[in-house]
Amino acid sequence: MKVLVPVKRVVDHNVKIRVKSDGSGVDVANVKMSMNPFDEISVEEALRLKEAGVASEVIVVSIGPAKVEDVLRTALAMGADRAILVETEDKTEPLAVAKILKGVAEAERPGLIIAGKQAIDDDSNQTGQMLSALLGWPQATFASKLEIAEGAAIVTREVDGGLQVIGVTLPAVVTTDLRLNSPRYASLPNIMKAKKKPLERKTPADFGVDTTPRLKVLKTEEPEVRKAGIKVKSVAELVEKLKTHAGLI
Amino acid sequence: MFLSDIHEQVRETARQFADEVIRPVAVELDEQERFPAEIYKEMGALGLFGIGVPEEMGGPGLDTLAYSVVMEELSRGYASVADQCGLVELITTLLVRHGTQEQRTRFLSTIMTAETRVAYCLTEPEAGSDLSGLRTFAERNGTGWKLNGGKIWIHNAPVADVGFVLARTDKNAGHRGMSIFIVDLNQKGVERGPKEHKMGQRASQVGALTFTDVVLPADALLGEEGRGFHMMMSVLDKGRVGIASLAVGIGQAGLEAALDYAQQRRQFGNAIVEFQGVQWLLAEMARDVEAARLLVRSAAMKIDRGDEATKACSMAKWFASDMAVARTADAVQVFGGSGYIRGFEVERLYRDAKITQIYEGTNQIQRMIVARQLIKQGARG
Ligand SMILES: Cc1cc2nc3c(=O)[nH]c(=O)nc-3n(C[C@H](O)[C@H](O)[C@H](O)COP(=O)(O)OP(=O)(O)OC[C@H]3O[C@@H](n4cnc5c(N)ncnc54)[C@H](O)[C@@H]3O)c2cc1C
Repeated sequence: MKVLVPVKRVVDHNVKIRVKSDGSGVDVANVKMSMNPFDEISVEEALRLKEAGVASEVIVVSIGPAKVEDVLRTALAMGADRAILVETEDKTEPLAVAKILKGVAEAERPGLIIAGKQAIDDDSNQTGQMLSALLGWPQATFASKLEIAEGAAIVTREVDGGLQVIGVTLPAVVTTDLRLNSPRYASLPNIMKAKKKPLERKTPADFGVDTTPRLKVLKTEEPEVRKAGIKVKSVAELVEKLKTHAGLI
Repeated sequence: MFLSDIHEQVRETARQFADEVIRPVAVELDEQERFPAEIYKEMGALGLFGIGVPEEMGGPGLDTLAYSVVMEELSRGYASVADQCGLVELITTLLVRHGTQEQRTRFLSTIMTAETRVAYCLTEPEAGSDLSGLRTFAERNGTGWKLNGGKIWIHNAPVADVGFVLARTDKNAGHRGMSIFIVDLNQKGVERGPKEHKMGQRASQVGALTFTDVVLPADALLGEEGRGFHMMMSVLDKGRVGIASLAVGIGQAGLEAALDYAQQRRQFGNAIVEFQGVQWLLAEMARDVEAARLLVRSAAMKIDRGDEATKACSMAKWFASDMAVARTADAVQVFGGSGYIRGFEVERLYRDAKITQIYEGTNQIQRMIVARQLIKQGARG
């Protein structure tokens, strides 16, 4: 069974992001970029399936400008077998990405697609679900545990108020949550080996997809600055402040 | 700067590992002077031991620049851990360059996984900067050798399995009368002194070794008899790049800690980073860390291109280690009293920095080397 893992290049999670002065978006000039953390978890899960003999090949795909090759190389260095880069300069939106991934899936025929539940840049949390709908495959989102058994995936999902276990027949789309696993580091020998692994270049047109943005960003602004707190001298004062100042109790 | 995509990826692995695995335990390792075997095992699995070992010998086959980048990042986490990486790099470089096929197969793979712990044994009570004072002696014993003498201040001596020991094999031949032996340190006749308690890099286990009639087989000899001194020296260029990178990592950690603290600490109604006096300390730290990094990478690239690199490596080691000591002292200054208190990172960094001016050739010795090369090659060499 082939496993397909889409990966996105985003602003590194350690970077303190800044909004551009004209409010048109987040400033990404000279900012460290890396693989979306949920996608690292997806790659890790796919690699574990391969190591367990369940998956035969792990294919990673990224959609974006030429620079997204970075995160594909990282995924290859973690252990993925080959990579597909679908190059576009357009800002990528979930629907266009899902359509392209559908095209990739039709060409590659994976038994499983493992995607991050969301990307930490726009936090859309839509691509996996849209992809499942477009392909007509079942979906299991927010996975914190994944087992493959006889043509089906048993997925433990993190839902409000607890965990839910569902079974989906394969092929299926699974999206990963934070607690699924902790991704490995790319070892130095694997970084060297990744140099020789195949990376195929495509364009959205190859899949008949138009990536022109459908969404218009009206304004981007910083969250309100947190106001400084106050210090209290005693428990009595704390209780009083909670009552009068914050109106919490 | 100067880094290819591969180098960037290597740096990312070392950086993440340092941030997530090494740095969180540095305080504890320093306090308890503990050998972090579990960290070394993980580093072995990541290919961080024996970075330059060629792919056909089972290593990652990366260059000196990659080694330098790894050393800097690991040291940002904790210098003692980086120093273990540096030590293994020296030994594996010796084995790759001078070992027989049989010696390589026997040792390389388990050294790279950190199963076999190694020591690089030069220094003796009478032979520090001046190795011509070397007394340890190996005499012929049948087809093999018999070793007598002792070493001091040997990194890993209390825990090592195998020592790479420089010994005299000809008492009358000076530097040409020394050879290297691969010595099983768990055998009869080898005694380990107690672990030394050091100012800094306290997780590194350092101590003495004494050899009394230690019987060595013929194949304990590494490389050619009589070439030991030159072989040891031939890996020191790379070793100095390693220590210089380690010093840059300490400086970088100090800069990061100081900048962070200066933005948080408030006095006179302002964050202290608003005061020009503090800004200038930070600016100087940043300048010198970067200058040292450039010298180090330029030296590493000279080695990788096969250029004459001795002077560049000595300058890098000398400059970077002086930088680390001076600028971590500034980092302590930025922290004020807190910087002098155990548990604050900069207090440890300052202590960890000092040894970089001493080991791998003191900075006085580096001056001698630079001057000698200058006179030999001219000012443009
Ligand atoms: C923590 C630690 C780890 C070590 N690890 C190892 C190891 O793994 N393997 C190993 O073999 N050794 C190791 N050493 C030893 C280290 O390499 C030596 O301490 C170092 O080479 C200096 O030798 P020395 O201490 O005998 O000083 P000395 O040579 O006695 O020097 C004392 C002072 O005199 C100066 N000096 C000496 N000669 C001259 C000269 N001609 N001109 C000007 N100044 C001069 C020196 O610069 C120094 O300032 C380690 C030492 C320490 C402290």
